[in-house]
Order: sequence, then structure tokens, then C-alpha cells
Amino acid sequence: MVEARSLAVQSVLYRNSAEDIERATRALTNSVRWARADRLISDWTLQLGDCSPSAVFTETSLAPLRAVVEAEGGTLGYTVFGANLGSAAGHNALAPLSSTQLLLILNPDAQVAPDAITALARAVVGDVGIAESRQVPLEHPKYFEANTGTTSWASTACAMTVREGFDKVGGFDSATFFLYCDDVDYSWQLRLHGYRVVFEPAAAVFHDKRLTITGDWPAGDAEIYYSAEAAILLAHKYSRPDIVRSLVARYTKDGSAAALKATAEYRKRKAAGTLPTPVDRAHKVAEFVKDNYAVHRF
Amino acid sequence: MTKKTIKDDHPSSFVGLIDVISGRKNVDPELHRRLESVRQLLVAPKTHEGPFLTVLVRTQGRRLEPLKDALLCLAGQTVQDFEVILLEHNATKDAAREVRAIVDRLEPEFGSRVRILEVKGGTRSKPLNAGVHEARGRYIAIYDDDDLVFADWIEQFRDTAGTDGDRLARAVVANQVVVPEIWPQGQSGFRTASWPNSEYPKTFDLLQHMLVNYSPFMSWAFPRALFFTYGMRFDENLTVAEDWDVILRGSLLLGVDDVPALTAIYRRWVGGESSYTSHDTESWRASEQAVIDRIDEHVIMMPVGSFNAMRRMVLYNTALDNYRFIFNGTSLRRPLNWAWDAVRPGFRVAVKVRNRIRRLRAR
Repeated sequence: MVEARSLAVQSVLYRNSAEDIERATRALTNSVRWARADRLISDWTLQLGDCSPSAVFTETSLAPLRAVVEAEGGTLGYTVFGANLGSAAGHNALAPLSSTQLLLILNPDAQVAPDAITALARAVVGDVGIAESRQVPLEHPKYFEANTGTTSWASTACAMTVREGFDKVGGFDSATFFLYCDDVDYSWQLRLHGYRVVFEPAAAVFHDKRLTITGDWPAGDAEIYYSAEAAILLAHKYSRPDIVRSLVARYTKDGSAAALKATAEYRKRKAAGTLPTPVDRAHKVAEFVKDNYAVHRF
Repeated sequence: MTKKTIKDDHPSSFVGLIDVISGRKNVDPELHRRLESVRQLLVAPKTHEGPFLTVLVRTQGRRLEPLKDALLCLAGQTVQDFEVILLEHNATKDAAREVRAIVDRLEPEFGSRVRILEVKGGTRSKPLNAGVHEARGRYIAIYDDDDLVFADWIEQFRDTAGTDGDRLARAVVANQVVVPEIWPQGQSGFRTASWPNSEYPKTFDLLQHMLVNYSPFMSWAFPRALFFTYGMRFDENLTVAEDWDVILRGSLLLGVDDVPALTAIYRRWVGGESSYTSHDTESWRASEQAVIDRIDEHVIMMPVGSFNAMRRMVLYNTALDNYRFIFNGTSLRRPLNWAWDAVRPGFRVAVKVRNRIRRLRAR
């Protein structure tokens, strides 16, 4: 029997439409309703951090959102950061605004399924530090153990984590990661502190990802650049200089603007002495499998 | 619901045929007048008070987790101008209770647009006809309870078809392999085992579809007129291939607009039950033949460009015929016949395997 725990749901906004946030909030509130009915969640709050150049909400336009949250016994916090902090720093800034036992890191426009919060709250027990939702319609291909859900890392498009673990590892490494791999790093930090990372397929979340007509992933410029940069930094942080060398060589040979910029950023940080101190020297948690951070099913 | 005016910017093939005849310089004036009268009946602006789309979701309540996914995908649509009719077909009492529990837990605004329609008996077509009867949408789309749609599934249909056309709209669907699996919290779930494979043709080719169905149900938005003006219904005598039947008859009658996007995923179950495993080969063969025979009993209209395509086919077939003499026996051709006799069993097996793979891919 899992006892009721308090929950803070955190979303970092960046140029989202108010309508999308409202719809996502209605879905979230509905999911919280059933988790509260199942006595898995007690007090809860929704904390929105806005990184947009101009705020998505005014106090007036926020009122309906607040009403939806409060109708389900929650509170709403809306913080305008006034700068694009990135997801990692944004979530770090939001976390101290509540003191709940659980944190749900949620993409602002992702819509959770009615039983997602229930399934996640049931999954985050014992030694589990973070539980990741199953994204629909495009599921992440990471391998997970059938019976336990144990996996290498958790995507924070929608993932529930214990605050105790969040505090122990110091939240997300926002100094190193701006947009990508902050969740991989956070998961591995939890594992270094003895927590388990699980994938919970019963907790579905609709994340608006699409494919090209030929079934390919349409990566945007920001994704190409920031994921390339994060790949080098993650390899450096997890004591894999061989992979760093290999990536730098490959990016240099690639010659694209994003690849060269990622390499330049790494060299700049190296020269400035601002790279993170390498951890996991015995390679206990970090998994570098081809260009992925876990074995993939497909 | 908002009232929208139906205009004449997507004329159907049927209307196109009327235009061809009535547009002739020397057509009988009386025929011209009557054809125009029919045309006006078909394309005259009319008001429609229902949503843009009615989504018919068939379920037997056997795959509850996939059904939740299917509904979640609908809740996530960028265009919410739709209603959902959940066609609960031959569900057991327990399954029906589970389905109701799922609907009861939906977010209230979305849940208010989901209706359950209980249907007992009959083939897979019976719930579809029951759903069509209840549909209020200007278009009708059909979506099985184990499939997925992307956020722009309805938006793309709307953008391609407009709100007013009388043609079918056809998008591209990918296939994805899933394997049944019990999830950590005990649910009867599945494991996704492949990346979505966009293997179907990117544009609609009626001649190709006459051979096999390359477009799963979620590919299609059927105009309301197909059912309520032209009177088409799903054939309840068919045990399977009911989709292929309406796709062919509908596209022959009204024509098809291509949606230039991949908007849905068909889940191909490995080690689980599907329409393919639930019905034997004979059932598939008989249903497919029934579809072909019925179409062949009537006059059909082909889309623009078909004449050239069919000429190329006939030309190719004629060329093949011209070389068949090689295999018709005289002593001069005997060595070739011997060789052919030797390889023929293997060739037949290869053709059967190829055809089976094509059928599997098509379903």
C-alpha cells in the first residue's frame, strides 16, 4: 500500500500557446483527481516557469487556469523568469518554490493520461528515484526490464521523481546542460546515489511529436546543435575521453555549422576550465551505446 | 457546434462526370438542364450543424491499454472539432464495465464528446453502420482501438478536405510492431518493438488499391455524403475486408484527395490477436472475392489519368503474351519447357510467399 504524498508538477514554458497550456492543465488536473481518489496524492501544486521573451499569461488570462487547479485542491504558481534559462535551470528554479515529497517534471504542452499520475505514484516507491512515462504516439526506444521497468535513464518529458533524490544530487546540472541530456545526467546521478530509474508503461502521456511522410525524425536546428553539444559534455562528465575524442573527430569531419559550433563550445569550456568534473570513473551507471545512452529496442 | 456552409470547391468524381456531359457543346438542352439540377442537388450550399469529424472507434474491450492510448491521441489533437463514438462490439459484461470505467475517467470536456454505442452480433461491419447512423460529423473517420494517431491527424484531414468537400481524404499511415507483455503494475500491456515504418504509398493510386489495400482505416476521412447522399454502407456480409470494400467503392464514386503527411500508426501485433489471426485464409479470400465481384457487377468511374495507366498495363500484358509462345510446347521449345517444369514448383512457392507477405503488410 502506497501512502498519499504531496506533489509539485513543474513545467517550463517557452513561447507556448496559452491554449495548449490550458488543455494540458485540464488533462493534468483530471489525472491528479484520480490519483487523489486513489489516495496516492495529497496536497499538490502546479508550478509554471515562463522563459518566453514575453509572458504567455497575464494575471487575467491565468485566472481560468488557477480555477481549474484550485477546483481539484491544488495551488498554481506562475513565475516569469524574463530570460530563457533552459529546461534544466528552469526546473532547478521552480523546485524550491514548493516542498512536496514528489516532483513531476512535465513538458508544458504534454497531456497526461487519466491514470498517468496514479501509475507514476505507484512506480516511485522503494529505491526508485525517478519513473518515466510512456510517450504516445512516439514511444522512446530505450530498453527496459519487463517485470520491473528498470532502465538506463528517464526522459523528463514526463517523469516523477522523489524530492529527496532531487535534493541529494543537486537537481539538474544546468551549468553543463542547456537543453539536451540534462535528464540523462540527472538519471545517472540518481543511480550513482543508489536510486533506480524505471520506465512505467502504464503512465501514458501524449507528446506532440511527428514524423516526416517517409517516417523519419525531423530534427530541428536547435535539436541538432544542442544534442551534439550535450553528447560531448555527457561523455566528458562520465569519464569517457575516448568518446569525447571520437565525437570531436566526427563533428570536425562532418563540418556542418552545428557540429563545428558544438566542438568549439566544448573547446571553449575546456580552455576556460568550466567543464564538469568527471564522475563514474568505474563506468557503473553510464551507458554509451552507439550514439545512445541505453540499449535501444529499435 | 458552428454552422458552416458547404461549397463547391471539391467536386466529387460523380459531379465531375456530370460536368463532362453537361459541358458538351451539343448536349441535349433538356438533358443539360436535368443534369444541372442533379448537380445543384449535390453541391448546393447546405448548412451542417455537427462537428467537422465523427471518429468511430471499434472496440471489443479486449485491449484496454491500447484503447486508452487511442483515446489519449484523440484528446491530444490540435483540432478538437470532433466527436467520438466508441463502438463496443460484442463485449463481455466485464469488458463493457472496463470500457465504461475508462470513459468515465476521461477529462470531462473531452469525455463529453465521447459516446459509447453498444452493438451485439453481426460482422465487423455492423458496428460501423451503427456508428455511421449516429454520426453527426461532416466527415467520418474510423480508428480501431489499438491504433495511434499523431496530433495533426484531424488537422490534416481538415486542411486537405476543407470543411465542405465531397471527396475522400487519404493520409499516410506507418506500421509499428508491438508484442503483448504484462507491465510492471500487472496490466495486460505490450512492448513496442519497432520504429514506425512508413511503407505504404505516399499518394493514392486506385489501380494499385484494386490489387490490395494499401491504406488502413485511419488513413481515411469519408465525407458524410458518401453515406447519407449516395447511400453507401459497410457490407455486413463481409467477415473481413470491409474497409477495402468501402475504400474502393467510395473512391470510385467520389474520388480521393491526398493528405501530404504521415498522421497515424497501425500497430501490427506479433504473438497477439488481430483481424488477420482471427480469420482464416479462406475467410479473407472469400471476402476479397466478394468485394471484387460486386464492383465488377457495376459500371465504374476511374479517376483522371487512369486511361493512360491502364493502357500501359495492357501494353505490358500484351508484351508478356507475345513471349508466352516460348513456353508452349513444340520440340524446338522442349528444352525450355523442361527447364520451366524443373523450376516451376519453386517459383510457385516463391509467388505464394510473396503474396502472403503482401497481404500481411496490407493488413
